[in-house]
Amino acid sequence: MSDQAVRATQWIYRGVWSVLTRWFRVPQGPPMLPVAAGDSAESFRPSPNFLRYLKLWFWLALLPIDVAILIGWIAVMAVAPWIGVALAPVALFLAVAPDVVVYVGLHLRFDTTWYVMTNRSLRLRRGVWVIQEVTITFENVQNVVVQQGPVQRFFGIANVSVETAGAGANPHTRGLQITNQGLIEGIGDPDRVRAIILARLRRSKTAGLGDEIESPDSVRLPFASPQHLRLLREIRDEVAAL
Amino acid sequence: MTGDATHGPSGFNPTQIERPDAALMTYYLWVALITVAGFPFVVIPLWCKYHTLRYRFDDKGVSMSWGLLFRREIYLTYRRIQDIHVTRNLFHRWLGLGAISIQTASGTSGAEMTIEGVKKVEALRDYLYTQMRGAKGNTTTSGESTLTGEETNDSVVALLTEIRDELRRVRGRQETKA
Repeated sequence: MSDQAVRATQWIYRGVWSVLTRWFRVPQGPPMLPVAAGDSAESFRPSPNFLRYLKLWFWLALLPIDVAILIGWIAVMAVAPWIGVALAPVALFLAVAPDVVVYVGLHLRFDTTWYVMTNRSLRLRRGVWVIQEVTITFENVQNVVVQQGPVQRFFGIANVSVETAGAGANPHTRGLQITNQGLIEGIGDPDRVRAIILARLRRSKTAGLGDEIESPDSVRLPFASPQHLRLLREIRDEVAAL
Repeated sequence: MTGDATHGPSGFNPTQIERPDAALMTYYLWVALITVAGFPFVVIPLWCKYHTLRYRFDDKGVSMSWGLLFRREIYLTYRRIQDIHVTRNLFHRWLGLGAISIQTASGTSGAEMTIEGVKKVEALRDYLYTQMRGAKGNTTTSGESTLTGEETNDSVVALLTEIRDELRRVRGRQETKA
């Protein structure tokens, strides 16, 4: 693509963004999480390879559709050239317009996906028309699943699914609206994220089901050890002898 | 929109929320209008829900009730919240609303409670978040910040030893005086 074409596409994409943020109230920055004192927060988004991964499927789906439209048009041309000429703009529109929309949609999907992680919790946001945000504290996490398909492996990305307790629905029937789960899609460093969450899990002393931890004051100590008894007797004797 | 979250729940008092905002009825009207032919069938139950919907936030949990003929009331404690989902579609965003779905570890597949019709979605969500387990305090760091049993034991012994020695010294001084 020439320089001008690149600048034109960027200009159009910025235009789409400004319409989305102004008229459709799409938030532009990453979501916020209340951070306790002494805690750190980092926000990140899917790896750039995730966008390439999505585009690969886009091209693979696009090719047969456009080839089918082309073959259909050539068939019409062969039978009735006049109708074929008249249909040319229609065929071109049918072939190009949905592709542009989907292509822009892929970029928007990538740009509106945000992940925020603090030492205590995780907040995920995705979506353009319907914006979904999930907040999970690591204390409630039951298990962490890392999934990677062969194509994802080629791009060096993986999905990390953070699951909490609860029956939940069949993930295949409910799409993105899976409850008690946070899906971190297409990140380049799944092992780091998994390690952070699992490290938090191991330190946690509860089952993550709403159990209250005993406060440190109420921890039972073996207070009356033989050593204590001996010392206390000695103190009593000392006081008695005063 | 995200700015609400930065000042946190400090300036926000959920106990004042009892009725949903009037914008919720506008939202329900839009939802019903989308169904065109089904409008009267959709709008009447939604109208009833809007007018009977009551929230009660206390310091331990939240209760939500609605229904005219078939009443329904849900109560759940903040500590039992597993995760919080916030969904905002286009109409929600235009009206400044949002749907906060709260999950607990119970067996139902959907959300246990969906709070609709609250204007300060971000603030309420962050309030719920700070009440969740693990969002603050020493729930996960108690092992680091406080003494372990062994250490406490040692320090008690040391303290008792000091008291005994101190008493011996006092007695020794008294005996030399006498």
